[in-house]
Amino acid sequence: MPAAIGAAKPEAESSETEMKPPLPSTSTARTSTRASAGRPAKTIETRDVNLFYGDFQAVEGVTMTVEPNKVTALIGSSGCGKTTFLRSLNRMHELTAGARMEGEIALDGQDVYGRGVDPVQVRRLVGMVFQQPNPFPAMSIYDNVAAGLNLSQGKVKKVDRDAIVERSLRGAHLWEEVKDRLDKPGAGLSGGQQQRLCIARAIAVEPEVLLMDEPCSALDPVATLAIEDLIGELKTKYTIAIVTHNMQQASRASDVTAFFNLEATGRPGRLVEIGPTEKIFTSPSQQATEDYVSGRFG
Amino acid sequence: MAPAVRAEYQEELDRLEASALGGLDLVSAALSRTLEAIEHQDVELAQIVVADDDRIDGRYLEVHQALITLLATQSPVATDLRLISALLHVLKNVERMGDQCVNVCKMIPLTGNEPPADPEMVKLILAMGSQTKTLISQAKRSFAERDVELAQDLVRQDDAVDDLNRNCFRLALEIGDDADRREWAMTMLLAARAIERTADNAVDIGEQVAFVVTGLFREFEDASHPAP
Repeated sequence: MPAAIGAAKPEAESSETEMKPPLPSTSTARTSTRASAGRPAKTIETRDVNLFYGDFQAVEGVTMTVEPNKVTALIGSSGCGKTTFLRSLNRMHELTAGARMEGEIALDGQDVYGRGVDPVQVRRLVGMVFQQPNPFPAMSIYDNVAAGLNLSQGKVKKVDRDAIVERSLRGAHLWEEVKDRLDKPGAGLSGGQQQRLCIARAIAVEPEVLLMDEPCSALDPVATLAIEDLIGELKTKYTIAIVTHNMQQASRASDVTAFFNLEATGRPGRLVEIGPTEKIFTSPSQQATEDYVSGRFG
Repeated sequence: MAPAVRAEYQEELDRLEASALGGLDLVSAALSRTLEAIEHQDVELAQIVVADDDRIDGRYLEVHQALITLLATQSPVATDLRLISALLHVLKNVERMGDQCVNVCKMIPLTGNEPPADPEMVKLILAMGSQTKTLISQAKRSFAERDVELAQDLVRQDDAVDDLNRNCFRLALEIGDDADRREWAMTMLLAARAIERTADNAVDIGEQVAFVVTGLFREFEDASHPAP
């Protein structure tokens, strides 16, 4: 599978850093010329993933696939482990003291938790957008987008950097709104614009996967729909997993829905059912899923 | 047991289901009167059926609007969504069945005060009507009880109506040379056809029962691809 996808990539990309075994243990300079459109995105496969905070097990036995060029929604009540699971996909879970993971998570067949794999490199390939828009407040709009470039790609020429910033802002549907004030602080934008700025920042480093943790929960309905439209476009280039409490958002914006649930308080969250979103919302196979999506989950 | 969540929504959905299925009782009553009007050539009773169809249409419009409101305000999904979709179909069928009764009743004055009725054919049409009433009540019960087997049995019950309809046709062919009798028979064939369609509507409701329960919609019988 990884070989097939690798082989499908244009030759111009062969010099780039890819997740070939073993994952690079250091960040390598990337050229910024890769055309993103139409490229095959990557698949995340997890097998029997258990996640812990110290002695407490938050997630148990999750085996699922996040398919390329699709939006996978993770839904479930608070505390069911969906955000914890999302954060394990790019090794952010381990940033919490005492947190650990068991099981396997692979990006196009390559073990994300493999020996010698640099977590920073994983997070560059698997970007994250958070619940609260979190642009660097003192930085300009331009610098917010370019922030990740210096970290992941070392020195980038000004002309290349300009191109990446514009492409990323266009990709996030923000360019037209900010092109005349790129030097103004990111904090001056509206909530919806700030979230799109964060998405622009995430896609500036050309990740393979975008993880979104309730990206619209702090936004008004219009900004929410703008982000959902954007997600629909981004999936043509990226693999996307999104945690949402908004059932309508899951049904509107995702192709695949995974329902997480926990048997009782204090018990670990489990994956109850995963399937095409259409099926989950019209005819789920598990009663627990039915109860949750139809709002009867007490 | 979890506390009841969305109790009002659930109550409203239950109420609308009862109201939509109650439409079948209205249809059944209209069909009874229609049959009586045929049997006794009762033009006045036929006119009452025509006027009374407004009640069936009113039920259709009222429940239809309330279901659309639920769709717009409550975002029903899964079984609830399938139920609402099915109820919209049921309502349409109820409305169609009511109109078929009206169609029959509008024919009754056309045949005149003392039509040259053929008792055998009248008997067949009354039998069709009676069997169709059985289908209507069975469709209602299968929906209310989510009984797919009972719903599928409607096909068998409908075959009996179809047989009677074919017998009517045969009788009409053999009705003789008298012009009045022939005209009467042709009119009665249209009535038989309307009743036969009413029974088909009951089968359609059975298909919706299967959809609500299984999530898969398929026609019990496909006229364009009949079973070998």
